[in-house]
Amino acid sequence: MHVRVDLSLPVPPTVRPGLDRRTFLKVVAQATAAIGLTSAMAAKVVAAVEKGVRPSVIWLHFQECTGCTESLLRTSHPGLAEVLFDLISLDYHETLMAAAGHQAEEALESAIRKNAGKYILVVEGAVPTKENGIYMQIAQKTGLDILKHVAASAGAIVAIGSCASWGGVPSAEPNPTGASGINKILEGKMVVTLPGCPANPYILFGTLLQFVALGKLPELDELGRPKFAYGRTIHEHCPRRAHFDSGRFAEEFGDEGHRLGYCLYKLGCKGPSTHASCSTLQFCEVVDAWPIGLGHPCFGCTEQSVAFRVPMLKPAEIVRPTPPSTYAPVAAPQGFINPLATAVGGLIGGALLGAGWMASRGMKEKPDSPSHTPPPNQNSDSSDKE
Amino acid sequence: MDVNRRDVLKVLLGGTAVTAIAGSTSHVAKAAPDIIQPLDDAVGLLYDATKCIGCRACMPACENANGLVPDRGSSHGLYMQPEALNSQTKNLIKLYVAADGHERSFIKQQCMHCVDPACVSGCPMQALHKEPHGVVGWDPSLCIGCRYCQIACPFNIPKFEWYRVNPKIVKCELCRHIVGKTAAQPACTRVCPTHAVIYGKRADLLAEAHRRIQEKPGYYFEDRVYGETEGGGTQCLILAHVEYSKLGLPKMGPQSNASRVRRVTNVIYQGFLTPVVIYGGLVAIVRDRWKDHLAHVAQERQQHDKGMHP
Amino acid sequence: MTERWEKCIRLKEPLLTRPFKALLGLAAFAMLLGILREVSGLGYVTGLNDGYAWGLFKNWNVTALTALGSGGYAVAVMAWIFNDRKFHPIMRTAVLTSLVGYGTGMLALGFDVGRPWNFIHILNPKTWNHHSVLLEVAVCMTAYVILALNFENMPPFLERMYKSGDPQRSERALKIFRYMQKSFPFWIALAFVLPSMHQSSLGSLMFLAGDRVHPLWQTARLPLLYLVMAYILGFACVLLVLILSTYVWRLGWDGAILGRLAVVMSWLTLWWLVIQFVDLAYRGVFEMAFTFDRYSIVFLLQTILLLVPAQALQIESVRSKPGNLFRLTLVLIIGGLLYRFTPTSIAFIPLGNYTYFPSVIEILMSAGFTALAVVIFLFAVKRFAILPASRGKIAAEAAIRPFDTL
Repeated sequence: MHVRVDLSLPVPPTVRPGLDRRTFLKVVAQATAAIGLTSAMAAKVVAAVEKGVRPSVIWLHFQECTGCTESLLRTSHPGLAEVLFDLISLDYHETLMAAAGHQAEEALESAIRKNAGKYILVVEGAVPTKENGIYMQIAQKTGLDILKHVAASAGAIVAIGSCASWGGVPSAEPNPTGASGINKILEGKMVVTLPGCPANPYILFGTLLQFVALGKLPELDELGRPKFAYGRTIHEHCPRRAHFDSGRFAEEFGDEGHRLGYCLYKLGCKGPSTHASCSTLQFCEVVDAWPIGLGHPCFGCTEQSVAFRVPMLKPAEIVRPTPPSTYAPVAAPQGFINPLATAVGGLIGGALLGAGWMASRGMKEKPDSPSHTPPPNQNSDSSDKE
Repeated sequence: MDVNRRDVLKVLLGGTAVTAIAGSTSHVAKAAPDIIQPLDDAVGLLYDATKCIGCRACMPACENANGLVPDRGSSHGLYMQPEALNSQTKNLIKLYVAADGHERSFIKQQCMHCVDPACVSGCPMQALHKEPHGVVGWDPSLCIGCRYCQIACPFNIPKFEWYRVNPKIVKCELCRHIVGKTAAQPACTRVCPTHAVIYGKRADLLAEAHRRIQEKPGYYFEDRVYGETEGGGTQCLILAHVEYSKLGLPKMGPQSNASRVRRVTNVIYQGFLTPVVIYGGLVAIVRDRWKDHLAHVAQERQQHDKGMHP
Repeated sequence: MTERWEKCIRLKEPLLTRPFKALLGLAAFAMLLGILREVSGLGYVTGLNDGYAWGLFKNWNVTALTALGSGGYAVAVMAWIFNDRKFHPIMRTAVLTSLVGYGTGMLALGFDVGRPWNFIHILNPKTWNHHSVLLEVAVCMTAYVILALNFENMPPFLERMYKSGDPQRSERALKIFRYMQKSFPFWIALAFVLPSMHQSSLGSLMFLAGDRVHPLWQTARLPLLYLVMAYILGFACVLLVLILSTYVWRLGWDGAILGRLAVVMSWLTLWWLVIQFVDLAYRGVFEMAFTFDRYSIVFLLQTILLLVPAQALQIESVRSKPGNLFRLTLVLIIGGLLYRFTPTSIAFIPLGNYTYFPSVIEILMSAGFTALAVVIFLFAVKRFAILPASRGKIAAEAAIRPFDTL
C-alpha cells in the first residue's frame, strides 16, 4: 500500500510534493556518503528505486511519545520523508496512515501475509512486560503479543529510538510497567537498535537505504547499533574537543567560559560516555542545532547506563581517554622521599651508633682485669667430660 | 709455615695461568661471542622526530592493541596523561623544548629492541629473551620479578607493576602478539598520520635513514642515525634534528654493556674451568691441613689427658 | 694477663633478656610486615620505583650485609689455607655469624622478588641464562647456604644430639660426624669456592649497568673489590661479635686472636684502598674524587672511614686497647658497608629524574631481618657450644670430643 504524506499537515512552503530527479539524486548521494557507502552504491540505490523495488515496512508503536516519527517527518531540505516513502512501501504506521480501527488491523495482517519473511519491522517505543504486558494493549492484544507476532515473520527488525532499543524513559526507576527494549523480548533475533531520544532520522534513513540497495544491514556493534553512527562517542567527534584537551571549561551556565563556547564537561556533559552521531550529524539540518551546540551539556540519551539514570550535572566517565594538549617533559620527576621514613631511618641509625658508643665506653679496661671481678661462675664445674 | 705459603701461591698461580692461557686459546671463551651482530631479518622502527607532529595517535592505539588500562595521571580521570613510561604505558610521546624556547622536538619513547640487549643478558631465567626477528619479548612463566632488567637497561625501559600481587614486566614488544597474525605492523606505526614512525626490517630502515640524511645534509643531528651503533646497535632507530641526549637518549659507545660483562665473566670463569681447577687445588691443600690438624688435636688431647691423670 | 681461648662453650645465661625480647619483637613485626608485602604488592610496602628498582632488601640486606656475613669464609681461609691454627677456637662463632647473615639475607631476597612462584625454575638448568651474573649469585648463594654453611654449622648441633641421652640419636650424631670428618676437605673447599664466586659476582652485578653507575665506582675491578671487601667485613664482623661477647659474657680476652684478626683486616683494607686508587688512576677518573659534588663527598667519606681505622689498627698500642679496637672496627664496618651499598644505590643514576628513599615499612622490615639474625645468634650461643672461652671459663657445657675437632 503506497502511502503519501498528508498535505494538510503544516509543511514549509519550500517543499514541493514529489521530488525532481536531480534533487533525488543529490539526496541519495548525500545520504550514502553520510553512511560511508561509495558512489557506486548510490547508483545501486537509484537503480533499485527506478526498478520500483520497494520493500514493505511495518512500523509499530508501543510505549512512545512518537518523537522518533516526528523527527523523521521534520526533515525538510529536502523532505526526507518523501524520499523515504519513494524507497519503501510503508504498509502500517499508526500515526501516518489514514486507516483506523478494524481496517487498520486488517491492513497489518494482510501486509504480514503478503510480505512474509521480507518486510522490515520498525519498532518505536518500549514494550511493558510486567504482569504479562497488560499495561499496553491494542484491540485487546498486549504489546508483547503484537510484537512477537509481527516479528515472527519479519525479514529485518529495527528498533528506532532509545525506548525500543533499551527501554528509554518508561524504563527509568522505578520502572513500574517493566518497560523493556525489544531486543530483550525478541531473544535470539537480530535487532538493529538505533537509540536516541529522539533518534536521528538520518540514521534510520541510512540503515534502510543500505538494506534496500545492498540487501543487507550495516555493520553492528555488540548492542546491535550500526557502527557508522554509534561507533564513536560524542566526545571523540565533538567540535568543542580542543577546549576539553586544553582544559578550557565552562564552570557555570552563563559564565564567560560558557559564553565563549568552552567545553561543557564540568557542567555534566555525558559526551565522553555516549555513543552517538550528534556531534557530526546534528539535527534539523541546521549547523549547531544540537544540545552542545546550543550550550547545553549532552545527557547521554542513547546510552542505557547514562540517560535517565546519571544526574544531569554529574561529570561523565571518560570511556577511552586520550592525551591532553600538553606534553610531559623529557625527564619528568618521579618518586619522592618520605620525611617520616628519613626520620625512622635516622633514628635507627643513630640508635645503633649511640649503642655502639655507649658499649665502647664500657671497654676502658680488659674484661678480665681485677676491677672486672667476674660474678660467681656458675659455669665452673670440676668434672671435665671425656 | 713457608712450605704452606708456597702451596697456596702454587694454587693461585696455577689458577691464574689457566685463566690466562685458556683465555687466549680456548674455544670455550669464544663460544659466547663478544660482539653480537643484528639478525638478517631483524625488524624494528624508524622514528623521524622531524616528521612527528605530536598528535599522539600512537598512544591510544598502543593502549588498545595491548589491552592496557590508560594511566590518567593527575588529571582526575580526564586524560591519558602518563608522566613517563610505566606499567600502563608502553609507548609515550614527549616534548623537548629548549630553555630559551628556540629549539623543540618530539620524541617517542618505547623499547629500543637492542641488538645485544642488557636486559636479556642480565635476566637470570631468560624471561626476557630474543624472539624471532630480534624482538625482545617477556615470558611471564619464567620471570621471577627480580627486576635486574630495570637495573640493566640503559634506556630505563622495562617497567614493573609495583601495585599488584602478580606483577608483570611491561614494555613494548613490537605488537608481536598480533603482527603476522591479525596485523601486518604494530599499532603505533599503523595509525601514525605522517608516517613519522615506520616499521620494517632494520636493514631497510637503516638504508632509508641514510637516504634521508644524504638527501638533506646538515639537517639531522650530526648527520647520523641514533641506534646504528649505540650500545651495540638498536633495532629501533631515531632521527632528529636536535641533540639526541636532550631527547633522553643516552650517549653510548659502540660496545654493548652485555658484551663487556661477558668478556669479564668469561675471563674469570673460562666456562667453569677456573672454579673447578681452584676447587681441586683447594681440596689438596685442605686435605693437607686437615691431616695436620687431626695430628695436633690428638697431641693436645694426649697432653691434656696426661695432665688430668698423671 | 692475656687469656687464651681454647674451647667453645655453651652459655648458661638466660635467653629472654630485655634486649632479646625487644629484638624478637622487632623480628616478629618484620615478619608480619612481610606477610603484608606478600598480600599487597611491593609498591605499597616499599619506596621502590621504576628508576630505583632495587632498594634496601637487595642492596643492603643482601649486597652489604652478606659481606658482614662472610666471617665464616674469611676466618676459615686463614685457618685452613694459611694454616693459622690460632683461629680454630673462633671457627664456630665465625660460621654461625655467616649462617645468620646469609640466612637473613636470603630471607630478604625472598621477600623482595616480585614473582617468587617462578623460583621453581631454578631447579631446571635448561631455563638458566648462563651469561647472567644474577643467576650466578642466586644459584651460588643458595648452594652455599644449603651445602657449605649447613655443613660448617653442624658440629655444635650434632654435639648436642650426642649428649641428648637417647642412644639412637647419639649413635646417629656420631655417624654423621665421622662422615663429616672423612669428607671434610671436599666440603670446605666448596665453602671457599662458592663464596668467592658469588661475593665477586655481587660486584659484577652493577657492571652491566655501565654508565648508569658513577665512574668513581664503575670499574671492571668491581668483582675483585667486592671480594676483598667481603673478607675485610667478614673479619670485622667476627671481631665485633667477639669483643661484645667477651664483655657481655666474660669469655676472657684473647689478645692474640683479636689482635691478629685486626692486623689481617687492617692490611687487607690498606691493600684494598691501593687497588681502588690504582684503578681510579688507570681509568683516568682520579680527579673526580675531588670535585666535592655529592658523589665525590660520598667517595671521600667512604675512603676516610676505611683508611683511618686501617692505619690506626696498624699500631700495636692502639689496637691492644679494647675500646679502640671496638670503635675502629665499627668505623671500618661503616665504611665497608658504605662501599658495598653505594654502587647499587647512591652512585646509581638512572635515566630520567628519579628519587628513591626507602619507606618506613621497608626500613622496619630490613631492621627486623637483622634483628632476626641477632636473635638466632643469641639463641644458638645459649643452646650450643659455640662461643670461645679461656681455661678459667671452661665448664661442663664445653665442646666435647670428638666434636671439638671442628
